Amino acid sequence: MDRGQNTGGLMSSAGLIRYFDSEDSNAILINPKTVIATGVMLGVVVQLLTFVS
Amino acid sequence: MGWKEAAEPVLTRMPAVKRPEGHVPFKRKLAWTAGILVLYFFLTNIEILGAAGGQDLFGEFRAILAGSQGSLLQVGIGPIVTASIVMQLLGGANLLGLDTDDPRDQVLYQGLQKLLVVVMTALTALPMVFAGGFLPAQDQLVLGGLEFVGSQVQVLMFLQIFAGGVLLLYMDEVVSKWGVGSGIGLFIVAGVSQRLVSGLISPTPQGFFYSWYQILFTDEVAVGSVLTGDGLFVLLSQDGGQLLALFTTVLIFGIVVYAESVRVEIPLSHARVKGARGRFPVKLIYASVLPMILVRALQANVQFIGQIMFTLGPDREAGPIILFGQELPWLGVYDQSQPVSGLFYYVSPIYSPDDWMWWTGEITAEVWMVLIRVAFDLTFMIVGGAVFAIFWVETTDMGPEATAKQIQNSGMQIPGFRQNVGVIEKVMERYIPQVTVIGGALVGLLAVMANMLGTIGSVTGTGLLLAVSITYKLYEEIAEEQMMEMHPMMRQMFGKE
Repeated sequence: MDRGQNTGGLMSSAGLIRYFDSEDSNAILINPKTVIATGVMLGVVVQLLTFVS
Repeated sequence: MGWKEAAEPVLTRMPAVKRPEGHVPFKRKLAWTAGILVLYFFLTNIEILGAAGGQDLFGEFRAILAGSQGSLLQVGIGPIVTASIVMQLLGGANLLGLDTDDPRDQVLYQGLQKLLVVVMTALTALPMVFAGGFLPAQDQLVLGGLEFVGSQVQVLMFLQIFAGGVLLLYMDEVVSKWGVGSGIGLFIVAGVSQRLVSGLISPTPQGFFYSWYQILFTDEVAVGSVLTGDGLFVLLSQDGGQLLALFTTVLIFGIVVYAESVRVEIPLSHARVKGARGRFPVKLIYASVLPMILVRALQANVQFIGQIMFTLGPDREAGPIILFGQELPWLGVYDQSQPVSGLFYYVSPIYSPDDWMWWTGEITAEVWMVLIRVAFDLTFMIVGGAVFAIFWVETTDMGPEATAKQIQNSGMQIPGFRQNVGVIEKVMERYIPQVTVIGGALVGLLAVMANMLGTIGSVTGTGLLLAVSITYKLYEEIAEEQMMEMHPMMRQMFGKE
C-alpha cells in the first residue's frame, strides 16, 4: 500500500493525465511499439492518399 | 455507488499501454521519448486529406494547445486539457466518490479519464469540420475509383482528426510509462520552442534578427532618432526592434527559474534512525504552472463557443452574432473572426501589446472597453490561477493530508513534534494552502503581464511559463534518473523497483 501511494502521487504531478499502477486484467493492453507504428502508418497512408487524389 | 457498477464493464476495458516489466534503462527511456517527439513532429506536418485551407479555431491558443492547424494533430492537446478540467472539477468537488488509494477506483478513474478525452476529441473535432470556415472541405475528392462529395469528405476529415486526437492520448501514455516526463509536457515544450526559435531566426519581419537587419542595414524600418519618443518606441515595439518582447521573454525565463528555487523547507528527522535528516520543500510554485493551462483552456473554450455562434449565422466577414434570426450585438460583434465588442470581446484574453496599447492608434475599441478587458483578464487569470492551483494540489495528492501521510509512511517526523499524522498535517496546513494560492495567483499575473508586453515569436506568456517550468522539471527528473543509474541503491530509496 505504501509503495502504491507514492508512485501514484509522483506520477500524477508530471502530467495532466494520471496513470496508476493498478491495472484491470480485463483491460486491452497495447504495446508501445504498436502506438508508434500506428502513428507512422496513419501519417504515411494519409500522405500517400493525398498524392493519389 | 450506482454509477460505478454501471460503468465498470466499459471503464475497465479501456485500452491501455502496457507497463514496462521491471526497470527501463535511462537510455531506453530517452529513446522512447525521442521517438514520440519525432512522431509528433511528423504528424504535425501531414495535412488532412480533403481540407482546403481554413482559419484556426484555436487562434492564439495554439501556442499552448500544441498540434497544428490543418494537420492530423489539428485538435492538439485541447481535448486532453478539457477532459482534465472536467476531472479536476469533479474530483476537486469530490462528486465522483472515487478513492484514489483504492486500486479498483484507480482503474475506474483511469478509464473515465480516457473515455472523457475520447468524447472531448469528438466534440472538438465536430465543430471544426462541420461548422463554418475553420476547416473547409474540398468540394470533391477522388481516391482511385472512389469519389467523395460534400459531407462525405467532411466525414473523412473528421475521422482523420479524431484518429490524430486519440493517437495523441496514447502517445502521452507511452511517454508517461516508458519515457521521461509526460507526453503533454513534451508536446507543449516542442510547440513553444519551435515558435520561439522561428520567432528569433525567421527571415520575415516577425523574426527578431531579421527585423534588426532591416533596422541596421536597410531602410525598410525607419527608426529616426533614438532620442525621440517615436524612435525609441519603434525599437521597443513588436513591429520594430522587438526589444520589449526580448526583454519580457528573458525576464520570464529568469523569474520562473528563480521561483522554482524559492521554497519553504520543513525539516524532517527519522523517528528510528538518529541523524537521518531530510527536508520537505514547499515550493513557491508548489502546484507548478500546469493549472495555468487549465485556466487558459477555459478561456479558449469560451472563445470557441463565441466563434461557433458567429459562424452559425449567415456567412460574412464582420458583424454581430445572429441566432434564430436575431442580432445579438451585446453577445459579440466579430470582425475577421476576432471579437471587437460585446461579451466575447471583454472575456477574450490579451494576446499581445496590439490588443491594449490604445495610444498607438492601432486599436479600434474605446479606451474604457480596453480597460475592462484588461481588468477582466487579470482578475480571471489571478483568481483562476489560485483556484485551479488548489484543485490541482488536492487531486494530485500534494495537499496537507496526503503529504502528511507520505511523510509518516516514510518513517519521518518533524523534530520537536509528536510523531503523528494529524500533527504533521497541522504543520503542513500552515504552509501548503497559502503557498499554493500565492503561487497560483503569481503565475496568473505573470502570464498576463508577459502577454501584455509581448513575447518573441508570440509564444504567449502562458506558453513560455509552461515551457520553462516543464523543461526545469524534466531536467530535475533526468538528473534523478542519472543518479539512479549510477547508484542502483538509490532506486530503492526513491521507491522504484
